[in-house]
Amino acid sequence: MATKACLPRIVHTPPRGIGRSILLTLPILLWSLLMFSHPQGAAVADRLSLIAGAITGVFMTVLFFMMMRTGTTYRWRRYFFVSVGLLFPVGFIHNIVAMRGTMGIPVEEMIAGRTPFCFMPIPLLILPAAFTRTLVFPGSIVPSGGASGHGIAAMVGIWLALTLVMGKGWCSYACFFGGIEEGVAALPRRAKIRKIDPRWRYGPWAVLLAMVLLSLALFEPAYCMWLCPFKAVSEYVAARNTVGLIQNGIFVLLFAVLVIALPLLTKKRTQCAFFCPFGAFQSIFNKASVFEVKIDQARCKPCVLCQTACPNLSLTSESVAHGEALLSCMKCGACVDACPRQAIVWHIKGTEMAAKPERARLMFLYAAWAMAVMFGGSIIAQGLVTILHFLPLGGI
Amino acid sequence: MAAFVPFGEALAFGLASGPACMAACGPVLVPSLLAERTGIGHNARYLSVFLSARLLGYLVFAAVAWEIGALAAFLPASRILLMGAVNIALACVLFWYAYSARQFCAPSCSSSKLVNIDRKEDRGAPGAAALGLLTGLSLCPPFVAAGIRAAQLGSVLQSLLFFTFFFAGTSVWFVPLAGMGCIARNQAVITVARMTMVLIALYYLSLGIAMLIGRKPYGY
Repeated sequence: MATKACLPRIVHTPPRGIGRSILLTLPILLWSLLMFSHPQGAAVADRLSLIAGAITGVFMTVLFFMMMRTGTTYRWRRYFFVSVGLLFPVGFIHNIVAMRGTMGIPVEEMIAGRTPFCFMPIPLLILPAAFTRTLVFPGSIVPSGGASGHGIAAMVGIWLALTLVMGKGWCSYACFFGGIEEGVAALPRRAKIRKIDPRWRYGPWAVLLAMVLLSLALFEPAYCMWLCPFKAVSEYVAARNTVGLIQNGIFVLLFAVLVIALPLLTKKRTQCAFFCPFGAFQSIFNKASVFEVKIDQARCKPCVLCQTACPNLSLTSESVAHGEALLSCMKCGACVDACPRQAIVWHIKGTEMAAKPERARLMFLYAAWAMAVMFGGSIIAQGLVTILHFLPLGGI
Repeated sequence: MAAFVPFGEALAFGLASGPACMAACGPVLVPSLLAERTGIGHNARYLSVFLSARLLGYLVFAAVAWEIGALAAFLPASRILLMGAVNIALACVLFWYAYSARQFCAPSCSSSKLVNIDRKEDRGAPGAAALGLLTGLSLCPPFVAAGIRAAQLGSVLQSLLFFTFFFAGTSVWFVPLAGMGCIARNQAVITVARMTMVLIALYYLSLGIAMLIGRKPYGY
């Protein structure tokens, strides 16, 4: 364990100058302007979305500026990520309730292929599609009206493009569910449960394997039907029979345990670390991504601060000894910021590790934040529009 | 010549519906194979035991189906009861398998490093036989269709032969699974396999209980 006596010498990075930080933030400012300055629709909605877009643009730009200015990542990313996690249900639930009058997906909507598609079932669709050329999801490939958004093809396309660049960074910059538990995990000052059996890290792989096999056997997206904790804050199968009741009970129970109770007790993202099958699937793409986190053996003193800081248990003594994080690393930056000797660095595969790690961090952050502005930013803006819609804003 | 037509039909039907059978058996077979020792030969032996027991399940069902008549055997009420019992039995075997994999893993997995698992005694045969028999008795759609066709044949022997040919057709699709022996076994793989078995056992258990207590789980 880390004790005061064995803490290594702390190396502080001097903050960047304000002018240079602003200069580095300019591309993100321009990207935000591009993303949030095009209101559509009726006049009142126009004004609300313009206000929400302006707030979101400023928010995202300021956060990036702070990353540049302070040289730290995790804290500022967390503000964004928790905002996405909290505002996604606000915008989404409002949207589907306005359209359908309920959070439950009616069978008629499923038959019509108008079930909204999130990225979670992507790994479950692969085998049935390979065997039968059929998508085992009651949505449609292209937009089909209702609450189905832009259809399955758009989501898969966005996911694939971003994943090839970011790998499992998706889970820290794009997932619109993980922010809830990250916010909950940030609440307690100290973890009540500190000793966690490392074998729980295999949980996501087991859930992935079980759900892939059951999806093929039952010809349904088994995770969405039975185990998704976030059905509790998005939408669920309308409980018209015993199975529906059991399913909804499981969703609420898993949400309460994995997203609320365990993060409070452990200060970890327990749903992501021990359960999420999409996270396990996404880990595979860390091999394809050029960005990774490396540990400089020459600088590292085994103080385990990085292991304590990692919200996903992606660092172990063995992996630190090997100079790298585990395959499950979400590239959130917690370990990089926590290391007092700057032994943990962002790295681009194929380059020398000592070759300007800040440059690697910058390249990663530009890619990650551009994605965050486009994907998470639009979710934040949508949530803000919903909140503004209910506020007594008078003339606005 | 005409006497052989039903058996050619059974073989073709088995070949055609093999992927559906493999998909239905996958949740049981894949994790239990992963919990076994590495090596294609060992996995092929495990698969042989599984498939032989599955054939036995088919034949038992064929005999019963022919004896009491297809209509009685496939009545919804009796079907739900049989499926409920089979699902609960499958869950119990999977729980046992997940538990016993821990015992066999214990000496090799004491190290936190990833290590190859090796063992002398053969634990897999009884488990494979139990799982094969129970999946053989499961009423997946191709199996029900084959059962109804078999019950239309003239004698119990013909019915049994029909199911044997049907089984041979479906089994072709299981052969590639022996390739899972190429996956190196270590603590991670064994743990994932055990956790997967528990999850799938929970699924079968809940479904089985819902069927046995007489509820119509889907409302119809």
